Amino acid sequence: MSLTATGQRILLSDVNLSYGNHPVLRGLSLHVDAGEIYALLGGNGAGKSTTMSALLGFARPDSGTVLVAGHDPAAAPDKAREQIAYVPENVALYEHLTARENAAYLLALAGRQPTGDAIDGAFEATGLQNAAWDKRLGGFSKGMRQKVAIAIALLREVPVLLLDEPSSGLDPRATADFNRLVHDVARKGAAVLMVTHDLLSAADIADRIGFLESGRIVDEASAQGEERFDVRELHRKFAREVVAA
Amino acid sequence: MSAVSLIARDELRLMRRNRVAVIAFALLVLLTLAAALISWSHQRSIAETRARFQAQASEAFEAQPDRHPHRMVHYGNFIFRPLGPLAAFDPGVDAFTGNSMFLEGHRQNSANFGDVRQSSLLVRFGQLTPAFVLQVIAPLLLIFLGYGAVARERERGTLRQMLAQGVSARALILGKLLALALVAALVGQPAMIAFLLIAGQPGALAGPMLVIALGYAAYLALWAIITILVSALVRRGRDALLALLALWAVLVILVPRVAPDVASQAHALPTRLETDIAIAHDLHKLGDSHNPNDPFFTAFKERTLRQYGVTRIEDLPVNYKGLLAVEGEKLTSRLFDDYANRSFAVQRAQSGLNDGFGVVSPAIALRRLSMAAAGTDLEGHRRFLTQAEAYRYDMVQRLNRLQADAVSYANDTASDAGADQRKRISAGHWHEIPPFRFKSADAADLVKASVPGLGLLLGWLILAGLALLPVARHLQKARS
Repeated sequence: MSLTATGQRILLSDVNLSYGNHPVLRGLSLHVDAGEIYALLGGNGAGKSTTMSALLGFARPDSGTVLVAGHDPAAAPDKAREQIAYVPENVALYEHLTARENAAYLLALAGRQPTGDAIDGAFEATGLQNAAWDKRLGGFSKGMRQKVAIAIALLREVPVLLLDEPSSGLDPRATADFNRLVHDVARKGAAVLMVTHDLLSAADIADRIGFLESGRIVDEASAQGEERFDVRELHRKFAREVVAA
Repeated sequence: MSAVSLIARDELRLMRRNRVAVIAFALLVLLTLAAALISWSHQRSIAETRARFQAQASEAFEAQPDRHPHRMVHYGNFIFRPLGPLAAFDPGVDAFTGNSMFLEGHRQNSANFGDVRQSSLLVRFGQLTPAFVLQVIAPLLLIFLGYGAVARERERGTLRQMLAQGVSARALILGKLLALALVAALVGQPAMIAFLLIAGQPGALAGPMLVIALGYAAYLALWAIITILVSALVRRGRDALLALLALWAVLVILVPRVAPDVASQAHALPTRLETDIAIAHDLHKLGDSHNPNDPFFTAFKERTLRQYGVTRIEDLPVNYKGLLAVEGEKLTSRLFDDYANRSFAVQRAQSGLNDGFGVVSPAIALRRLSMAAAGTDLEGHRRFLTQAEAYRYDMVQRLNRLQADAVSYANDTASDAGADQRKRISAGHWHEIPPFRFKSADAADLVKASVPGLGLLLGWLILAGLALLPVARHLQKARS
């Protein structure tokens, strides 16, 4: 599926999911369209990570519908995962490999064979310094690792990008760089779902923000006009509906 | 390139970039080569020494002057067990059982002078042979190189990342396994070089060599699978290492050491002293040829006289003392054979029980296969003892028959001044006794003997391979 295609890329409809006797998602419904950035805000235990797991096919819902680019991750995890670029909170890459080798290896595993120039171009787009391209990842900061991960996501050219707490541990400048990159990916047609508890970062890049509480969306806000979001209002909602819960 | 090959290639790249792993691998390769060379040269020296001693012993026997044949029965002869070429790869029980025997009349001697009795006790901990390196040390290297293969991916979060990329857990496990199996093949390479050296030796047997190569390949592949299995089951690399080291200690060291003790407790052999007393007691019951009132020998005498149609032993056309020696040897040999068979039955039961532990220890199954195919197991030793006894019996009875036919009864019982000279027969008779030629087992027998061990190992391999399936399914669901 090309990044320029339009339509619904992520769909969760009335999803219930429990771990044993402990319900985590209770009737969760949301959708993300092509080219859209959706931020899922929630406190600890709200069900953010479980939502990610359900989309990646690591957790099977008890009921409801989960679709990633038209594929059910629980029934056909491999097909769904082929459509997803996933950047976890702590980017997991190989320490014994250089940035270039990491990209080549992980992309080859995903069935892509980008040229060296394409990898360099992606690194350049992420703002990763040239000097780091041929260095092993041992000494990389979290921001640098995220840039490598985003470069890989860019090169995969998949219709869905999942970001797990992307701004956690990043300084403001690195966060701004990262947000710019995510915007670029979305502009090319990918549906981006990020789970976060960083309200400011979410307000900065998201087209829609969903407030997740006890496994369901309790409120949703859409970006409007130049100001996009009323951050004070968002903060109030977040404090009332999410943090208080 | 498939995901399996990509993962295998990356795993090998990781090992290559790990200096400690490279050094450990190089050390093991050097150790195997050194073991092969040392063992080969040791076995060659043993073979040469035994051949030299055998030639000396035969020469000394044949150099005996004209003598009374019964003196030659007591002079006896030494024989040495020649080693097959595959003993350089796996000397088996040779170091423990002894390799030379003194053959004489009236008694069966056990084999003497095993390396264990000639060297320090350290040899009991295992000689440095290619078989020892592959059985004991090589699994340790595989554990060391592979314990983190899957656990590391899980610990660092790359497992989830990889699965999220659409790589299946089965491909991940197969890729890691392929890399470790390639390392195992490289580890076995020096031993195969040793094998080629051995193959150049006369008497090397292609069939048993192939079985040995198959057995060791299966054993190393099994350790590669066990390592990957544990690495996939355990959450942390450190725990995987500890679990694998414990497994290695139990399967390779503890069970093979405990099994023979259990077997000897379950099927106890009488002590040498007990056996000697029992044999003396039974010999006494058999009869005394020197006692004129002994019922057995009185009956024998009457039977012989009747057979020749005479009434006095002096009138027999043959020397009655020679006939008596033939009969006496027949009786005592039957008794000794009986004791030897009983002892071997117990040893075989011990061996069977010990081999049965191969169900819980692949190292025991491999040793069984390796020794059986190399012809250095208990059966190989028994083969030597059986042939040695057959040779001894034939040699003694030839001499006894010479006494009956070539020395007259009158001369044999005379005690005048010239009697000693008249009792002697020509030394040419000693030369007519054929030398001892050990006939080693043929290839088909060796292969047949190694089949149970190979079967057990393949069983282990299949079970471990099947265990990978649920582990891969479990890993596929990894949430962290």
